[in-house]
Amino acid sequence: MTLLKEVAAELIGMFFGDARLALALLVLVAVSAALIGLSGLDPLVGGTVLALGCPVLLIANLRREKRAIAPLKRSAA
Amino acid sequence: MLIWSTAAPAIGAAFLASVVEVVEAFTIVLAAATLRGWRPAALGTGAALALLASAILLLGPLLNQVPLHALQFAIGVLLLLMGMSWLRKACLRSAGVIPLHDEDAIFAAETAQLDGAARRHDARLDWIAGMTALKGVLLEGLEVVFIVIAVGAGGGLLLPASLGALLACALVLVVGMFVHRPLSRVPENTLKFGVGVMLSAFGVFWTGEGLGLDWPGQDLALLLFVAIFLGAGLAGTAIARGTAMEVAR
Repeated sequence: MTLLKEVAAELIGMFFGDARLALALLVLVAVSAALIGLSGLDPLVGGTVLALGCPVLLIANLRREKRAIAPLKRSAA
Repeated sequence: MLIWSTAAPAIGAAFLASVVEVVEAFTIVLAAATLRGWRPAALGTGAALALLASAILLLGPLLNQVPLHALQFAIGVLLLLMGMSWLRKACLRSAGVIPLHDEDAIFAAETAQLDGAARRHDARLDWIAGMTALKGVLLEGLEVVFIVIAVGAGGGLLLPASLGALLACALVLVVGMFVHRPLSRVPENTLKFGVGVMLSAFGVFWTGEGLGLDWPGQDLALLLFVAIFLGAGLAGTAIARGTAMEVAR
Protein backbone atom coordinates (compact mmCIF):
# COMPACT_ATOMS: atom_id res chain seq x y z
CA MET A 1 0.00 0.00 0.00
CA THR A 2 2.86 2.36 0.86
CA LEU A 3 4.45 1.51 -2.48
CA LEU A 4 1.22 2.35 -4.34
CA LYS A 5 0.99 5.65 -2.47
CA GLU A 6 4.58 6.46 -3.39
CA VAL A 7 3.94 5.59 -7.05
CA ALA A 8 0.86 7.87 -7.05
CA ALA A 9 2.85 10.68 -5.38
CA GLU A 10 5.64 10.25 -7.95
CA LEU A 11 3.18 10.45 -10.84
CA ILE A 12 1.51 13.57 -9.45
CA GLY A 13 4.88 15.15 -8.69
CA MET A 14 6.03 14.48 -12.28
CA PHE A 15 3.38 16.80 -13.69
CA PHE A 16 2.41 19.11 -10.82
CA GLY A 17 5.79 19.82 -9.21
CA ASP A 18 4.70 23.45 -8.88
CA ALA A 19 0.90 23.68 -8.71
CA ARG A 20 0.78 27.37 -9.67
CA LEU A 21 2.85 26.87 -12.83
CA ALA A 22 0.86 23.75 -13.77
CA LEU A 23 -2.45 25.56 -13.36
CA ALA A 24 -1.24 28.54 -15.39
CA LEU A 25 -0.10 26.17 -18.17
CA LEU A 26 -3.49 24.44 -18.25
CA VAL A 27 -5.24 27.82 -18.54
CA LEU A 28 -2.86 28.81 -21.35
CA VAL A 29 -3.59 25.56 -23.22
CA ALA A 30 -7.34 26.19 -22.82
CA VAL A 31 -6.98 29.75 -24.18
CA SER A 32 -4.88 28.51 -27.12
CA ALA A 33 -7.40 25.76 -27.85
CA ALA A 34 -10.21 28.33 -27.86
CA LEU A 35 -8.24 30.62 -30.20
CA ILE A 36 -7.49 27.73 -32.58
CA GLY A 37 -10.90 26.09 -32.56
CA LEU A 38 -13.47 28.73 -31.78
CA SER A 39 -12.24 32.22 -32.56
CA GLY A 40 -12.29 32.12 -36.36
CA LEU A 41 -8.79 33.63 -36.37
CA ASP A 42 -5.88 32.02 -38.20
CA PRO A 43 -5.02 28.89 -36.11
CA LEU A 44 -1.41 30.05 -36.01
CA VAL A 45 -2.48 32.87 -33.69
CA GLY A 46 -3.45 30.28 -31.09
CA GLY A 47 -0.22 28.37 -31.78
CA THR A 48 1.86 31.49 -31.31
CA VAL A 49 0.08 32.29 -28.04
CA LEU A 50 0.92 28.76 -26.84
CA ALA A 51 4.56 28.82 -28.02
CA LEU A 52 5.31 32.24 -26.55
CA GLY A 53 3.03 31.98 -23.55
CA CYS A 54 4.88 29.01 -22.02
CA PRO A 55 8.27 30.77 -21.74
CA VAL A 56 6.54 33.89 -20.41
CA LEU A 57 4.85 31.77 -17.71
CA LEU A 58 8.20 30.16 -16.83
CA ILE A 59 9.95 33.50 -16.41
CA ALA A 60 6.99 34.94 -14.46
CA ASN A 61 7.10 31.89 -12.16
CA LEU A 62 10.84 32.29 -11.56
CA ARG A 63 10.39 36.02 -10.85
CA ARG A 64 7.68 35.14 -8.36
CA GLU A 65 9.97 32.54 -6.79
CA LYS A 66 12.65 35.22 -6.55
CA ARG A 67 10.32 37.56 -4.65
CA ALA A 68 9.14 34.73 -2.37
CA ILE A 69 12.56 33.27 -1.53
CA ALA A 70 14.72 36.41 -1.25
CA PRO A 71 13.21 37.70 2.03
CA LEU A 72 13.41 34.20 3.56
CA LYS A 73 17.11 33.91 2.64
CA ARG A 74 17.80 37.43 3.93
CA SER A 75 16.26 36.68 7.30
CA ALA A 76 18.21 33.42 7.52
CA ALA A 77 21.52 35.18 6.70
CA MET B 1 11.16 4.84 -43.21
CA LEU B 2 12.89 6.58 -40.32
CA ILE B 3 13.43 10.31 -40.86
CA TRP B 4 16.43 11.40 -38.83
CA SER B 5 15.34 15.01 -38.41
CA THR B 6 12.31 13.63 -36.52
CA ALA B 7 13.93 10.61 -34.89
CA ALA B 8 17.07 12.33 -33.59
CA PRO B 9 15.24 14.68 -31.18
CA ALA B 10 13.16 11.74 -29.89
CA ILE B 11 16.26 9.57 -29.38
CA GLY B 12 18.15 12.49 -27.81
CA ALA B 13 15.35 13.50 -25.44
CA ALA B 14 14.71 9.90 -24.34
CA PHE B 15 18.45 9.24 -23.92
CA LEU B 16 19.21 12.35 -21.85
CA ALA B 17 16.09 12.06 -19.68
CA SER B 18 16.80 8.38 -19.10
CA VAL B 19 20.42 9.08 -18.09
CA VAL B 20 19.13 11.43 -15.36
CA GLU B 21 16.61 8.88 -14.06
CA VAL B 22 18.82 5.78 -14.41
CA VAL B 23 21.69 7.47 -12.54
CA GLU B 24 19.28 8.16 -9.65
CA ALA B 25 18.00 4.56 -9.70
CA PHE B 26 21.57 3.23 -9.87
CA THR B 27 22.51 5.13 -6.68
CA ILE B 28 19.68 3.43 -4.77
CA VAL B 29 20.44 -0.05 -6.18
CA LEU B 30 24.13 0.44 -5.33
CA ALA B 31 23.23 1.38 -1.74
CA ALA B 32 21.12 -1.79 -1.43
CA ALA B 33 23.89 -3.92 -2.97
CA THR B 34 26.58 -2.41 -0.75
CA LEU B 35 24.62 -3.38 2.33
CA ARG B 36 23.52 -6.87 1.37
CA GLY B 37 25.29 -7.94 -1.82
CA TRP B 38 24.08 -7.91 -5.40
CA ARG B 39 21.56 -10.79 -5.17
CA PRO B 40 18.67 -8.99 -3.37
CA ALA B 41 19.46 -5.75 -5.22
CA ALA B 42 19.34 -7.57 -8.57
CA LEU B 43 16.13 -9.38 -7.60
CA GLY B 44 14.48 -6.08 -6.60
CA THR B 45 15.67 -4.44 -9.82
CA GLY B 46 14.41 -7.38 -11.90
CA ALA B 47 10.99 -7.28 -10.18
CA ALA B 48 10.70 -3.53 -10.84
CA LEU B 49 11.65 -3.98 -14.50
CA ALA B 50 9.05 -6.77 -14.79
CA LEU B 51 6.38 -4.47 -13.29
CA LEU B 52 7.34 -1.68 -15.71
CA ALA B 53 7.29 -4.09 -18.67
CA SER B 54 3.84 -5.33 -17.58
CA ALA B 55 2.57 -1.74 -17.44
CA ILE B 56 3.90 -1.10 -20.95
CA LEU B 57 2.37 -4.34 -22.31
CA LEU B 58 -0.94 -3.49 -20.64
CA LEU B 59 -1.10 0.17 -21.67
CA GLY B 60 0.68 -0.07 -25.05
CA PRO B 61 -2.22 -1.64 -27.00
CA LEU B 62 -4.64 0.86 -25.43
CA LEU B 63 -2.70 3.73 -27.02
CA ASN B 64 -3.58 2.34 -30.47
CA GLN B 65 -7.28 2.70 -29.61
CA VAL B 66 -7.00 6.44 -28.90
CA PRO B 67 -7.59 8.74 -31.92
CA LEU B 68 -4.28 10.29 -33.03
CA HIS B 69 -5.20 13.95 -32.39
CA ALA B 70 -6.53 13.16 -28.89
CA LEU B 71 -3.36 11.17 -28.14
CA GLN B 72 -1.12 13.98 -29.41
CA PHE B 73 -3.05 16.57 -27.37
CA ALA B 74 -2.99 14.54 -24.12
CA ILE B 75 0.70 13.70 -24.51
CA GLY B 76 1.53 17.28 -25.50
CA VAL B 77 -0.10 18.74 -22.39
CA LEU B 78 1.55 16.16 -20.10
CA LEU B 79 4.93 16.82 -21.74
CA LEU B 80 4.47 20.56 -21.25
CA LEU B 81 3.67 20.07 -17.56
CA MET B 82 6.61 17.74 -17.02
CA GLY B 83 9.13 19.62 -19.19
CA MET B 84 8.37 23.02 -17.69
CA SER B 85 8.56 21.53 -14.20
CA TRP B 86 12.04 20.09 -14.94
CA LEU B 87 13.16 23.35 -16.56
CA ARG B 88 11.91 25.44 -13.63
CA LYS B 89 13.71 23.24 -11.11
CA ALA B 90 16.93 23.20 -13.17
CA CYS B 91 16.87 27.03 -13.42
CA LEU B 92 16.41 27.37 -9.64
CA ARG B 93 19.22 24.87 -8.96
CA SER B 94 21.52 26.44 -11.50
CA ALA B 95 20.94 29.86 -9.91
CA GLY B 96 21.72 28.47 -6.45
CA VAL B 97 18.21 29.17 -5.14
CA ILE B 98 17.67 25.49 -4.28
CA PRO B 99 20.47 22.95 -3.67
CA LEU B 100 21.86 20.79 -6.47
CA HIS B 101 21.02 17.08 -6.60
CA ASP B 102 23.91 15.28 -4.86
CA GLU B 103 24.27 11.55 -5.67
CA ASP B 104 26.95 11.05 -2.98
CA ALA B 105 24.67 12.54 -0.31
CA ILE B 106 21.72 10.46 -1.52
CA PHE B 107 23.88 7.31 -1.47
CA ALA B 108 24.99 8.08 2.10
CA ALA B 109 21.41 8.76 3.21
CA GLU B 110 20.07 5.58 1.58
CA THR B 111 22.88 3.49 3.09
CA ALA B 112 22.29 4.99 6.55
CA GLN B 113 18.55 4.38 6.27
CA LEU B 114 19.09 0.77 5.19
CA ASP B 115 21.65 0.29 7.93
CA GLY B 116 19.19 1.56 10.54
CA ALA B 117 16.48 -0.72 9.18
CA ALA B 118 18.94 -3.62 9.23
CA ARG B 119 19.66 -3.11 12.91
CA ARG B 120 15.97 -3.26 13.70
CA HIS B 121 15.08 -6.26 11.51
CA ASP B 122 18.11 -8.51 11.09
CA ALA B 123 16.14 -11.45 9.72
CA ARG B 124 14.51 -9.43 6.95
CA LEU B 125 17.61 -7.69 5.68
CA ASP B 126 17.54 -9.25 2.20
CA TRP B 127 13.87 -8.36 1.87
CA ILE B 128 14.50 -4.72 2.88
CA ALA B 129 17.43 -4.37 0.46
CA GLY B 130 15.39 -5.94 -2.35
CA MET B 131 12.36 -3.73 -1.70
CA THR B 132 14.55 -0.63 -1.62
CA ALA B 133 15.99 -1.50 -5.03
CA LEU B 134 12.52 -2.34 -6.36
CA LYS B 135 11.07 0.96 -5.18
CA GLY B 136 13.97 3.03 -6.53
CA VAL B 137 13.92 1.41 -9.98
CA LEU B 138 10.11 1.44 -10.18
CA LEU B 139 9.73 5.12 -9.28
CA GLU B 140 12.56 6.34 -11.52
CA GLY B 141 11.55 3.87 -14.25
CA LEU B 142 8.02 5.26 -14.35
CA GLU B 143 9.41 8.58 -15.55
CA VAL B 144 11.53 6.84 -18.19
CA VAL B 145 8.49 4.90 -19.44
CA PHE B 146 6.39 8.05 -19.61
CA ILE B 147 9.07 9.99 -21.47
CA VAL B 148 9.56 7.18 -24.00
CA ILE B 149 5.81 6.95 -24.61
CA ALA B 150 5.41 10.73 -24.68
CA VAL B 151 8.16 11.55 -27.15
CA GLY B 152 7.49 8.43 -29.21
CA ALA B 153 3.78 7.69 -29.35
CA GLY B 154 2.54 10.93 -30.91
CA GLY B 155 4.64 10.57 -34.05
CA GLY B 156 5.15 6.81 -34.39
CA LEU B 157 8.61 7.08 -32.85
CA LEU B 158 8.31 4.58 -30.03
CA LEU B 159 11.21 2.46 -31.32
CA PRO B 160 13.73 5.33 -31.64
CA ALA B 161 12.66 6.69 -28.23
CA SER B 162 13.02 3.20 -26.68
CA LEU B 163 16.45 2.93 -28.30
CA GLY B 164 17.49 6.20 -26.64
CA ALA B 165 16.32 4.94 -23.23
CA LEU B 166 18.03 1.55 -23.67
CA LEU B 167 21.30 3.23 -24.66
CA ALA B 168 21.10 5.33 -21.50
CA CYS B 169 20.49 2.23 -19.33
CA ALA B 170 23.40 0.39 -20.97
CA LEU B 171 25.73 3.38 -20.59
CA VAL B 172 24.93 3.92 -16.89
CA LEU B 173 25.18 0.18 -16.19
CA VAL B 174 28.58 -0.19 -17.90
CA VAL B 175 30.04 2.96 -16.29
CA GLY B 176 28.52 1.98 -12.93
CA MET B 177 30.04 -1.51 -13.09
CA PHE B 178 33.48 -0.02 -13.65
CA VAL B 179 33.45 2.79 -11.10
CA HIS B 180 31.31 0.92 -8.53
CA ARG B 181 30.27 4.11 -6.74
CA PRO B 182 27.53 6.74 -7.15
CA LEU B 183 27.85 8.57 -10.47
CA SER B 184 28.10 11.97 -8.85
CA ARG B 185 30.16 13.48 -11.69
CA VAL B 186 27.27 13.25 -14.13
CA PRO B 187 26.21 16.88 -14.73
CA GLU B 188 22.69 16.08 -13.58
CA ASN B 189 21.37 19.63 -13.52
CA THR B 190 22.72 20.50 -16.98
CA LEU B 191 21.09 17.33 -18.34
CA LYS B 192 17.85 18.18 -16.56
CA PHE B 193 17.93 21.69 -18.02
CA GLY B 194 18.48 20.30 -21.54
CA VAL B 195 15.77 17.67 -21.14
CA GLY B 196 13.36 20.28 -19.73
CA VAL B 197 13.97 22.40 -22.84
CA MET B 198 13.41 19.43 -25.19
CA LEU B 199 10.32 18.08 -23.42
CA SER B 200 8.74 21.55 -23.32
CA ALA B 201 9.45 21.99 -27.05
CA PHE B 202 7.89 18.58 -27.80
CA GLY B 203 4.98 19.55 -25.54
CA VAL B 204 4.17 22.73 -27.50
CA PHE B 205 4.58 20.86 -30.80
CA TRP B 206 2.26 17.93 -29.92
CA THR B 207 -0.31 20.13 -28.15
CA GLY B 208 -0.58 22.27 -31.30
CA GLU B 209 -0.75 19.20 -33.57
CA GLY B 210 -3.38 17.67 -31.28
CA LEU B 211 -5.47 20.83 -31.64
CA GLY B 212 -5.34 20.41 -35.41
CA LEU B 213 -2.61 22.99 -36.05
CA ASP B 214 -0.11 22.48 -38.89
CA TRP B 215 3.09 24.12 -37.69
CA PRO B 216 4.96 25.97 -40.45
CA GLY B 217 8.04 23.92 -41.40
CA GLN B 218 6.44 20.89 -39.72
CA ASP B 219 9.09 19.00 -37.67
CA LEU B 220 11.58 21.84 -38.11
CA ALA B 221 9.32 23.98 -35.90
CA LEU B 222 10.70 21.89 -33.03
CA LEU B 223 14.07 23.62 -33.46
CA LEU B 224 12.44 27.03 -33.08
CA PHE B 225 10.65 25.86 -29.91
CA VAL B 226 13.93 24.49 -28.52
CA ALA B 227 15.56 27.89 -29.14
CA ILE B 228 12.64 29.71 -27.46
CA PHE B 229 12.73 27.51 -24.33
CA LEU B 230 16.52 27.59 -24.19
CA GLY B 231 16.42 31.39 -24.22
CA ALA B 232 13.67 31.45 -21.59
CA GLY B 233 15.57 29.00 -19.38
CA LEU B 234 18.78 31.04 -19.56
CA ALA B 235 16.91 34.29 -18.94
CA GLY B 236 14.99 32.73 -16.05
CA THR B 237 18.22 31.41 -14.50
CA ALA B 238 19.80 34.87 -14.77
CA ILE B 239 16.77 36.41 -13.06
CA ALA B 240 16.84 33.86 -10.23
CA ARG B 241 20.65 34.15 -9.93
CA GLY B 242 20.26 37.91 -9.56
CA THR B 243 18.32 37.20 -6.40
CA ALA B 244 20.94 34.84 -5.01
CA MET B 245 23.72 37.41 -5.61
CA GLU B 246 21.58 40.17 -4.12
CA VAL B 247 21.08 38.09 -0.96
CA ALA B 248 24.81 37.25 -0.76
CA ARG B 249 25.61 40.98 -0.82
